[in-house]
Amino acid sequence: MPSARQRQLRTLLFWAVPALLLLLPLATNAYTQFIVNGMLISVLVTLGFTLVIGNLGQLAFANTAFFGIGAYASAILSAKLGLPWIVTIPLAGVLGALGGFLASSAALRGIRSYYLAIITLAFGELMRWAYLHSKPLTGGTDGLPLPREAMFGISLSDDTLKFYIFLAVTVLLVKATLNLMRSRFGRAVMAVRENEIATASLAIPTARVILVSFIWSGFVVGCAGALFARHVGHVFPESFGMLHLIASFAMVLVGGLGSVLGAVLGAVLLTALPEYLRAFPGMEELFFGLIVAAVLVAMPMGLASLLRRLSPIFVERYYREES
Amino acid sequence: MLMQLTLGGFAQGAIYALIALSLTVVYRSTTVVNFGHGDFVMAGAFLSYVLVVLAGIAFLPAAALAMIAMFVLGVLFSKGLIRPIRGGPHIGLALMCISAGYVLRGIARMVWGREVLPMPAVFDMEPIFLGDLVITGDAVFIIGTVLVLLILFFGVLALTDLGKMVQAVYQSPRGARLIGLNVERFNDFSWGIGAALGALGGILVAPVSLLHPDLGASFLIKGFAAMTLGGFGSLGGAVLGGILLGLAEQYAGAYLDSALIEITAYVVIVLVLFIRPQGLFGRKAVVKV
Repeated sequence: MPSARQRQLRTLLFWAVPALLLLLPLATNAYTQFIVNGMLISVLVTLGFTLVIGNLGQLAFANTAFFGIGAYASAILSAKLGLPWIVTIPLAGVLGALGGFLASSAALRGIRSYYLAIITLAFGELMRWAYLHSKPLTGGTDGLPLPREAMFGISLSDDTLKFYIFLAVTVLLVKATLNLMRSRFGRAVMAVRENEIATASLAIPTARVILVSFIWSGFVVGCAGALFARHVGHVFPESFGMLHLIASFAMVLVGGLGSVLGAVLGAVLLTALPEYLRAFPGMEELFFGLIVAAVLVAMPMGLASLLRRLSPIFVERYYREES
Repeated sequence: MLMQLTLGGFAQGAIYALIALSLTVVYRSTTVVNFGHGDFVMAGAFLSYVLVVLAGIAFLPAAALAMIAMFVLGVLFSKGLIRPIRGGPHIGLALMCISAGYVLRGIARMVWGREVLPMPAVFDMEPIFLGDLVITGDAVFIIGTVLVLLILFFGVLALTDLGKMVQAVYQSPRGARLIGLNVERFNDFSWGIGAALGALGGILVAPVSLLHPDLGASFLIKGFAAMTLGGFGSLGGAVLGGILLGLAEQYAGAYLDSALIEITAYVVIVLVLFIRPQGLFGRKAVVKV
């Protein structure tokens, strides 16, 4: 547990990172800026995912579905209803949250662990089927392009402008999630992971905790989807397939299950690398698969566990240490 | 029409039954649900393709070789990757299975890329016409193979000493250990059997469908749907669930909408878990807190 002084240092560090990042566009070219923007999106995707599989301890596959819902919601709302893209970000988050509710509503019926995992798997595949088969809305296999749009007189195809918007959304959601995990609710989430029956005996409504975790996860990842839609400018069903799923698993695990810091680390490390593998079919799957297997055997709590050992500054509260 | 659909449903269902059974074999002995199983099925299909088309071996010995290879792979997976993390959280075991699946899929895609491979028909048998009903050689072959296998499987389980040991481990791994059974080795063996049976599912669909590295994903879902319907963890339920799912797909596709064939399995999973989570023959799936 960090001392009061160390906690101050930690707060300082937390805000220093985005403050320094404000200067980053001075040092990047168009391509590296694009990659960095992608990293910010991955941070949110991983954050939402680690909340469910790390903090809550429920195996879930619906993360990619929330991402797709957010991206399609943003694209449809701006292309079909003409809403400004920036407004679609929270709306995409809300729809992602609705997805989170639907995917986890079986928890109210007492469905847990493998059964919940299978339901979320089915939910994800159903969403992919829906993108392909609701052609008037989603464009089917052709995908859906986002309309050209400008903010403050700058085109939204400008990666620097996008970077600042993405950064603001990311920092906001990371901070919100950190605070949420430090709250009474956050402790309840981790208590459910450790022992649901014991948690219920403390008069904590465990099914509701599971539901709310999924809803918040859906919100965060839905917002990430909206960013992604603008990031690539064109939403295709393939972006939300199995490859995205294993990439998310790898980011969560490399960073460290249930750690917000880990989510950031994993996402930043693993977003850029596959860009080089993309040219070789199958390499990405092989790479992520091997990474996940290696981390599970050699370092089950990920990079965050190494940092925790380095300095108590990196200890996130109420996380069980590996024995 | 109805008879034709029923026959098609049985042929499809036989394969789903096999996949669900192979998932259940692993689940019952190790309590691990193999979320990468679809890719084991795919690997079986691709191995048989390699042996038949590229190495020129006849179908039956090729199928046997592919199953033996997958058995060995399953045992090695259990020994090398599952055992070291057995003590850890359960989520790690599921993730290990997923990553193994992706590795298999990545290898298949590295070799074959985006190609879609047709497998030569196994039996160039003249279809039999019974009134309106057309019975193809493939349907006979699939249903026949699965039937023989099921009789063998459940026969061994019910009538032999080996079957008794299997049931003992299923009932209580700890008790089985106390009476001197090597449960660790038994678990490795179960992984091998699971992988080989799953591979057989892939080998059987190979001649009637096109091969591509992603074919596993849909079979995984069908296997889960069959397991859920029959009752998670019940061996007989997995088989019955598979057959019922095959029939439901055919009927829904013909009488409602052909696009529904793809999502019948998902709908079955969701409906069963909401209405009767324990399935037809399963134990209680609901957590009461």
